[in-house]
Amino acid sequence: MRATLAMTKVQLRILRNDPWFLVIMFGMPLVVMPLFKQTMGLSLVASGFEGASGAEQVVPGQVVLFGFFVGGSAGFSIFREHGWKTWDRLRASSASPVSLLAGIAIPWIMIHVAYQAVLFLAGGLALGLRFNGGSPVAALLTMFGYSVVVISLIMLAASSFRTVHQLSAVQNVGAMAFGGLGGALVPHDQLPGWAQAVAPFTPAYWAMDGFRSVFLEAGGIDDVLVPLAVMLGAGAVLSALAARRFRADETKEFFA
Amino acid sequence: MLVARGIEKNYGDVSALVGADLDVAEGQIVSLLGRNGAGKTTLLSVIAGLIAPDAGSVQIGGMDAFAKPRSVASLVGIAPQATGVYPVLTVRQNLEFFGELAGLDRRARARRASEVAERLGLSDLLDRMGGKLSGGETRRLHTACALVHTPKLLMLDEPTVGADVATRAQLIEAVRELADEGAAIVYTTHYMPEVEALEAEIVIIDKGAVRATGTQAELIASHSLRGVRFQTDGFVPAPTMGFEPERVATDTYRVLGDIEMPDLLDHLGPDAGRLVSVEALRPDLETVFLAATGRRLDAEGGEV
Repeated sequence: MRATLAMTKVQLRILRNDPWFLVIMFGMPLVVMPLFKQTMGLSLVASGFEGASGAEQVVPGQVVLFGFFVGGSAGFSIFREHGWKTWDRLRASSASPVSLLAGIAIPWIMIHVAYQAVLFLAGGLALGLRFNGGSPVAALLTMFGYSVVVISLIMLAASSFRTVHQLSAVQNVGAMAFGGLGGALVPHDQLPGWAQAVAPFTPAYWAMDGFRSVFLEAGGIDDVLVPLAVMLGAGAVLSALAARRFRADETKEFFA
Repeated sequence: MLVARGIEKNYGDVSALVGADLDVAEGQIVSLLGRNGAGKTTLLSVIAGLIAPDAGSVQIGGMDAFAKPRSVASLVGIAPQATGVYPVLTVRQNLEFFGELAGLDRRARARRASEVAERLGLSDLLDRMGGKLSGGETRRLHTACALVHTPKLLMLDEPTVGADVATRAQLIEAVRELADEGAAIVYTTHYMPEVEALEAEIVIIDKGAVRATGTQAELIASHSLRGVRFQTDGFVPAPTMGFEPERVATDTYRVLGDIEMPDLLDHLGPDAGRLVSVEALRPDLETVFLAATGRRLDAEGGEV
């Protein structure tokens, strides 16, 4: 617990000292969102959501899409310790490997939730996204669930791969494939049939399901419990697999 | 404080350690002396719990290091050979983090960070980012991170590699002070002058095994060699020389024993004019190392 807390604090401190990655990751979706707002608005209206502006799809969609990219940094943090040659120092301490892993995952879950919340806030200010009767708490719970499942998935990938390029490939492909299939780019009901069938196997689908309930259907906490449960359940399984797969003495190549 | 017995470690067909033993008492500095690849780092890594051995035992502070790795880890400070500090944290943040990881509370780690920074000449750099330090400063911070929790057993793996003269002197002074305060210290190096400066108990390690142990004086008394080493311009057939020199490199030979320079010239006869260089082997750590391993060390830890 002590080691996890120390690791959590140092991860946050590193990000505070070098925040440019997050700054860029905030900026990119804010540039992309306005480009698709009108098209998504027409698409939502065609799907029966009268009065939708498009922000209800494009803001959550970009949050989910870029959320996967941001989540990838949790995995890079492990590789970075190897690149900085600090990993052996951590291993030589009295901290257990799992507590070190948790000390990297937990702060990134916190960062990931904050990232989504700020993007939603910015989307609200810039594109006029409103709750329209939906529950802010339900939106926050959905963000939390999505953060847990994404970070867990990335930690499993980081535990399994030896080079940072392998992890990077998973991050990029995962973001685009999961985002596309999960309805982050276009609404799920407008995807091809086969894509709609596989969509529930992606974290993005469940996150978009929760956000759709809140922003398009005025949903409350009850309405996001299913996607929340699925994401937390998947996150628990993926975290357990990551902890089981994680080998503290495995050499990881930061520059491969 | 440290008792390691019969440590073996194999990587496939390569034996990195073949029954290495090591003892270090409180307040004692033990210098592991060996060429690159001799097994020094592997031995330290096994003791620190970073590598699992194939055989052997390690007791630290009376505890079985393999049975209670977490309990033992709090007694140990290690500065691996490759410098490992956080470049985007300040010197103070680096020190306090490793203190916190070792269980120091806020006040204790702040105090210890200041103390070790002062000891290693980092006090004026506490608020500088790790990535903005010079090579020597980084090396000192790297070592300081291993000291911050006041370990009972400190292991420094080639702590002065790439360090400037001032840093080297500062580190050696700090190591001696820590030993005076009661820490058991293992210091690996291939620099003979450092071993002499530390006045350490010397353990010569080669091909994964301990070849000789003792103080400098003891080792010189028991292992050192006299003789000459010379280089010729072109191959000189042994019969011409009149004695049996040992060929140690291309056109480089060694004769052990109480041979004097005139004897060598006499023996070489007409080939004396082909001498390029002659070096007398005097009783010192270098010849101890030569006697114990059959090889000499160059400045980079390679063999000559």
